[in-house]
Amino acid sequence: MSSSRAETSAGAGLVDVTMPQMGVSVAEGTVVGWRVEVGDRIEVDQTICEISTDKIDTEVPAPIGGVVAEILVPLDTTVSVGTVLARIGSGSGAAAGAGPEAPRAEAAAKNTQPPYDDAPESGSRRDGRNGSAASPASAGAGAGADRRRYSPVVQRIAGEHGIDLSQIEGTGRGGRVRKQDVLAYLEEGAAEEAPLHIESPYRPESVAPAAPPLPATAPDSPTPTVPGTPPVRVAPPPEAPVPAAEGGQLSRMRRQIGEHMKRSLDTAAHCTTWIEVDMSRVEAARTRLRVTALAFMARAVIDALREHPALNAWLEGERYTQHTDVNLGIAVSLGEDGLIVPVIPRAHELSVEGLAARIKDLARRARARELTPDDVRGGTFTITNPGQYGSIMATPIINLPQVGILDFEAVVKRAVVITDGAGNDSIAIRPMTILGLSWDHRALDGALAAQFLATVKRHLEGVTIS
Amino acid sequence: MPTMTYLQAISAALRDELRADDRVLVMGEDIGVFGGAFKVTDGFIDEFGPDRVMDTPLAESGIIGTAIGAAVVGMRPVCEMQFADFISCGFDQLVNVAAKMHYRQGLAVPLVVRLPSGGGFSGGPFHSQNPEAWFMHAPGIKVVAPSTAADAKGLLHAAIRDPNPVCYMEHKHLYRRVKGEVPEGIEETPMTARVARPGNDLVVIAYGAMVHTALEATEDLDGASVEVLDLRSLVPLDTGAILDSVARCSKVVIVDEANTTCAAGAQVAAHIAEHAFEDLDGPVVRVSTPDVPIPFSPPLEQAVLPSVERVREACRELLAY
Repeated sequence: MSSSRAETSAGAGLVDVTMPQMGVSVAEGTVVGWRVEVGDRIEVDQTICEISTDKIDTEVPAPIGGVVAEILVPLDTTVSVGTVLARIGSGSGAAAGAGPEAPRAEAAAKNTQPPYDDAPESGSRRDGRNGSAASPASAGAGAGADRRRYSPVVQRIAGEHGIDLSQIEGTGRGGRVRKQDVLAYLEEGAAEEAPLHIESPYRPESVAPAAPPLPATAPDSPTPTVPGTPPVRVAPPPEAPVPAAEGGQLSRMRRQIGEHMKRSLDTAAHCTTWIEVDMSRVEAARTRLRVTALAFMARAVIDALREHPALNAWLEGERYTQHTDVNLGIAVSLGEDGLIVPVIPRAHELSVEGLAARIKDLARRARARELTPDDVRGGTFTITNPGQYGSIMATPIINLPQVGILDFEAVVKRAVVITDGAGNDSIAIRPMTILGLSWDHRALDGALAAQFLATVKRHLEGVTIS
Repeated sequence: MPTMTYLQAISAALRDELRADDRVLVMGEDIGVFGGAFKVTDGFIDEFGPDRVMDTPLAESGIIGTAIGAAVVGMRPVCEMQFADFISCGFDQLVNVAAKMHYRQGLAVPLVVRLPSGGGFSGGPFHSQNPEAWFMHAPGIKVVAPSTAADAKGLLHAAIRDPNPVCYMEHKHLYRRVKGEVPEGIEETPMTARVARPGNDLVVIAYGAMVHTALEATEDLDGASVEVLDLRSLVPLDTGAILDSVARCSKVVIVDEANTTCAAGAQVAAHIAEHAFEDLDGPVVRVSTPDVPIPFSPPLEQAVLPSVERVREACRELLAY
């Protein structure tokens, strides 16, 4: 995650927390949630607020530990990069001002219960605090784990399931990771490493702890404090938007997705074309390479885009631009919260294994809320892959200004008629899938869409691995 | 099914084969009138006569050489070495003549050499050896080593009916100690391994008397699930069964009563290292007799032979790894 700049305000003994620069194209951001209030003691790296840009939502960590002295930007206010969001009283000032606080901080660092049960929203903030307090310890364990050696069977199982062995506690001699430890981890942790489109990385925002009575200041009129004057206690923001399932207002992400999709439907001339593909070779190859079918799909789509560059393009108004590079967007579901489309830039330069690694990394970072705006910009074509529930067809909505999106659903075994070299027909059981291409009829015509799909099919059915 | 000792099972197999097939004959030192040093052929001479139950001179090369000639012309001789140790006198006949006959002349040598082997009874250096590996190293000879009464009978049937020379390793220490139900009639035991006890955490691979040592040592090992694989046949070696067990358990202890260097277990360990590397979760551990002749002194002999305690300790160590 990009770190925010921190500067000590001259003479005040305070450290500024500024709106971070989250990507080359981002000039401003909106504060969508404060996690702390003035007077709160915070740890270094603890999240102090949530911000949103037109590309992405993220969190701002505290540059130092200390006490929140001022909160300067009200909720839902958009400010430019570099604007001071809050000020934190440095450790020395806090220590001098409040002797009894020091042991408390130490206690928090030891991962014990933080002593702030009287503060509003203590539930969510306690999570953040515990998380940051625990991180040095786990980092230490990780460094130790790098020196560990693993037996062949342990490495093989880890490789097959993409397990990070440093995460596993060993029960063998000297903490050695035994086969049983990996198997137990697999059994318990299977749900943690969810593939694309399954679990939301976001904490449920709606589960608000019972908020104690707030100070008098109205929530929508926080008073920025002037340096030098005593800090004014700013009211905490109202709880984050309630998800639609509970009947409240749509979340910010849902609203953004909705606007984007509606604009696309209103703008582009949507058509969807389908083709059936025999995935036998992909299934065999992916088992051997231990990667997902999505990686093979990505590679086949890239190859097809190179052959039909008219689909690797943007249509902005009446301006149509074909791209040489394939910057491939992969839709990642964030569960109930919504959807995000991180982009693999220059994806045409990557092998199947390389694509698999990039997809995995993007999905992980999307779930961990670690994507930067640069990770989601510049896409020239998008693949969406929601097939794990068994659905077989969809009509995806084009991700403007792109002109095409490919929908990859479930691979299902079907009885199909195959013809051998001598022209004899027989019925065979084959893993089949139906690819759906939504394309913009303003930019191209159906014949090209069909040719593109046929090319994707040819590449998938011709997959070989040496 | 009748219950027999290991020794009675061997006698029964010989008797069944002598009754079933005129071509079968047994020969050896003092096996006729005296009934054999261990009484395996007790009473045989009365039933089958001296032509089929032949007392021979004290000359192992003569016994095996004669048997090879008989086998080549279509008989099915079963030679008894009084002690396995004495086969060194017949080594040339067995290794150079019998084993290579098929490759040189295309002739089958359906010959069985019974080898009372193993120690544990203060027999000293000339009466306690486990020489099976000598013959594993000579292409053309099969080597089997039963651990139970049923397999003692079944493997002897299989050996007599096999067209190749077969060394049948019968463990003296099991003769009267091991008892079990034995199928009636002639039922061959396949020359494959047998899972003596299934398990998941560790596999002990053994054959002959060491199967019993392994079973006893791992009967209650702090709740661990320990498999015991009884090889039964050393040539051919059931590598499929070995790899299956290793894939399941990932930790392996191999027990040999023979001297360590180049013992049957060394071959098993080498095969696992080459073909099951990615299944291993610990070093392949061997428990065997050190490279010394078997001492006559009872305490010294007990000190060198793999004991229940040594096998148990090796398993504990590896389980904790």
